[in-house]
Amino acid sequence: MNRFFLWKPGWWILHALAVAFMLWLGHIVRF
Amino acid sequence: MLQKQKLRWLLVGGLFFASFGGWVLHVRIHPPPDLAVNYVPFAAGLVSITAVPAMFLFRKTLAYAYVVNGMLVIIGTISMTHFSLAYPPETVTFYALIFNTLFPDIVILFTNFMLGKAIFELEMLKDQETGARQGRFLRYPNMGWWLVHLVALSGVYLLGHLFWK
Repeated sequence: MNRFFLWKPGWWILHALAVAFMLWLGHIVRF
Repeated sequence: MLQKQKLRWLLVGGLFFASFGGWVLHVRIHPPPDLAVNYVPFAAGLVSITAVPAMFLFRKTLAYAYVVNGMLVIIGTISMTHFSLAYPPETVTFYALIFNTLFPDIVILFTNFMLGKAIFELEMLKDQETGARQGRFLRYPNMGWWLVHLVALSGVYLLGHLFWK
């Protein structure tokens, strides 16, 4: 309970997904 | 109905109307069938007028709504800033930066963030002494945490834009 956030796998999974999404967004948005 | 519950409904209503107005404006200015990239504001707007207000109404999902709402505001800020940089005013003056870019649109978007934060604070943080705050500006759910995410999301977006052709 209440472990330091960096030791939680969910934190890494969420951030990996978020990074992938933002890279993809930067890739597709061409004005 | 308790005053607090009434306030929550009013704030969620404000969030819905601000999002709905923005979504309709986007659909009018950038119709999705015209260009694939127009589906980005279309989808983000759809989430912010359906899932986000609904999630703000329940205590169990409120914290998720707070994060999703804020992230949508950050994504909107980044993409509209990108658009303004891609189509800069002909002569860059202070006046032109305020009136001839998407600056006003970004300012309107911040309403969504403030309303989301107000609903969150109303329900989750009882007062300034709540443990989540003390000396932890850079940690969730404080403003520094949002600033870190604004900078980080902008950086990753920029990397994707520059290096993933």
